[in-house]
Amino acid sequence: MLPRKPDHYVALGVFRDATQEEIKRAYLESARRLHPDKNVAAGETELFLAVQEAYEVLSNPKRRSLYDATLPPDITGNLDVKHEIIFSRPSLVNLSEPQLLYVLLEVSSREDPEKLPTPPLNICLIVDRSTSMQGEKLDVAKATAIQLLRSLRQEDTFSLIAFSDKAEVIIPAMDATDKKKQENSIQMMHTTGGTEIYQGLRAGIEEIHRAMTSARVNHMILLTDGQTYGDEQECLALAEEAATQGIGISGMGIGHEWNDIFLDALTSKTGGSSSYISKPKDIQRLLVEKFNALASIYADEVTLEFKEQEHIRINYAFRLQPEGGSISIEPTMRLGPILRDASLQILFEFIIEPAALIEDEIALMNGALKMFIAARSTPVPPIRLKISRRVEKEPSMEAPPVRILSALSRLTLYRMQERARLAADEGRFDAAATHLHNLATHLLSQGENSLAKTVLFEADNLESKRKWSAGESKKDIKYRTRALLMSSTKEKT
Amino acid sequence: MIACSNCKHSNMDGALFCAECGSQLTGNSFVTQNITTDRFKDLLDSTGKEEQYQNFNGEDAWGSLHLLDTGHVISLAAKSEFTLGRVSEGQPIMPDIDLSPYQAYAAGVSRLHAVVKRGHHQMTFMDLGSANGSFINGKRLAPNEEKSLSHGDIVSLGKMKIQILLKNA
Repeated sequence: MLPRKPDHYVALGVFRDATQEEIKRAYLESARRLHPDKNVAAGETELFLAVQEAYEVLSNPKRRSLYDATLPPDITGNLDVKHEIIFSRPSLVNLSEPQLLYVLLEVSSREDPEKLPTPPLNICLIVDRSTSMQGEKLDVAKATAIQLLRSLRQEDTFSLIAFSDKAEVIIPAMDATDKKKQENSIQMMHTTGGTEIYQGLRAGIEEIHRAMTSARVNHMILLTDGQTYGDEQECLALAEEAATQGIGISGMGIGHEWNDIFLDALTSKTGGSSSYISKPKDIQRLLVEKFNALASIYADEVTLEFKEQEHIRINYAFRLQPEGGSISIEPTMRLGPILRDASLQILFEFIIEPAALIEDEIALMNGALKMFIAARSTPVPPIRLKISRRVEKEPSMEAPPVRILSALSRLTLYRMQERARLAADEGRFDAAATHLHNLATHLLSQGENSLAKTVLFEADNLESKRKWSAGESKKDIKYRTRALLMSSTKEKT
Repeated sequence: MIACSNCKHSNMDGALFCAECGSQLTGNSFVTQNITTDRFKDLLDSTGKEEQYQNFNGEDAWGSLHLLDTGHVISLAAKSEFTLGRVSEGQPIMPDIDLSPYQAYAAGVSRLHAVVKRGHHQMTFMDLGSANGSFINGKRLAPNEEKSLSHGDIVSLGKMKIQILLKNA
């Protein structure tokens, strides 16, 4: 099937009934992503011109109505992806107190994953070379970088940045020099200075820009072992900027000194997530896994734009698949990618205030799912996401769907770990220990004996010594309970 | 509000797991279900999942033991008498129900701790001379003395709290 030439609405990624305000916002967003000043790649200029033309027509009410008359009826919708919504209960209850509702959203490709083309990659690896990386950590990172370089296909591009308190481009994007030379440059990397993540990120974005097209998976992988000093806010702003341009960020932390909360915040801005590397030799496995995951992306940067309904809010959103991670709740939520062989699954926790229950059926969310399909340079139409529930007098006796229960039983463990950490950070060590004891009980009953042991050990430590036994242990518990979540969804796919 | 049966924490209506202790809550009047996901896996494979789900103590079960600390439910079926305890090596007499997967050792459950028997619309309970004793609703029992239990009673084997659930109560 030949790709249809997108109509003006699809080009801008808006619905046909979009308001002038929505059209303008969509135009500004596309312009930021596609502006020729930022995008040197061939083919993108054409896309930019299509967006511009679309905006010129649709922003003028007269021209818009003339144009609308020429369009075929809007029945096609999104032919590429499908979505499914599962609720924790069939209806809301008319109550005078707030109530919870869980919603599981699953978005997947309609096409047979075997037949889909693999997208070309545009990846920048940003390696911390501060003095603490000296030895095995940097050696394994170098060896892995060389291994990845060798495994690239013709259509992929790979760049490498080393940073400490300043950044150095080791391999530029679209570099035509032979691989032997590039491997030599990687071997020559040595440690020096402190850790300033902002320097690395900024240089990384520049390299990504050199090879950026919509058809590519544009992604930065940050590998660090330390805390960044004083530039957190700038980093977050930069990540936000990267996200609007369609650049994803993943973070990998080695050892105990790096700040996982910060790295989670940074990566979740782009729909990415962080992972924890406890032993230097795991660097290789995790980086290769990450590369493979990026190469199997079907749709990149799935976003959910929505307006909050009055007296209803999303209290928590968590990606169960493909990669577990919290999602920051903003008007434009970046949900993460759909992989060719793994759907995107998000669990939302809604809190509904009594004041919202004014009708028989209330809307929980009115939003749009937008995405870019990798390996394709034309935009796909957005999917309208309308979630509503009826309000009944009596609670339903129906048992909650197994998929929600199963996901939530694991997510509950992750959240208990979060609460324990929060309590410990605030100096409430007994409360933290209680949370950990509870967590351990559930881990034992789920057969996770080794993790339970670690948790119990830390609970005793917090109780008696008022501190964690070591810096790594809280990260260890966090990432291992998060991994449980992923294994629980994998069982079904 | 839903009060957690394990820790009494008040949870928002619609919650499925206790925000405080993580135990599974229920939307209806039944007690906590098993939290392990293995069970869910079994359910996924079966087609009539809703029926199976509701049927928390099996077709033939005359009662169940609800382990309050872990949220597990053990069905009592096929026999009318069960000994409770924990299995350990070199033990001559095995209990019918082994509580060791539920931290029985830490809770102070003896190897042969107590016995429960089916009665008419009730259940009888007898401590078998355990080291840490048994309690019914907080009151200590004399060993080898039979006591009757009603639906909802809480017995403790050492520190392990078990709620008694009877089918035809």
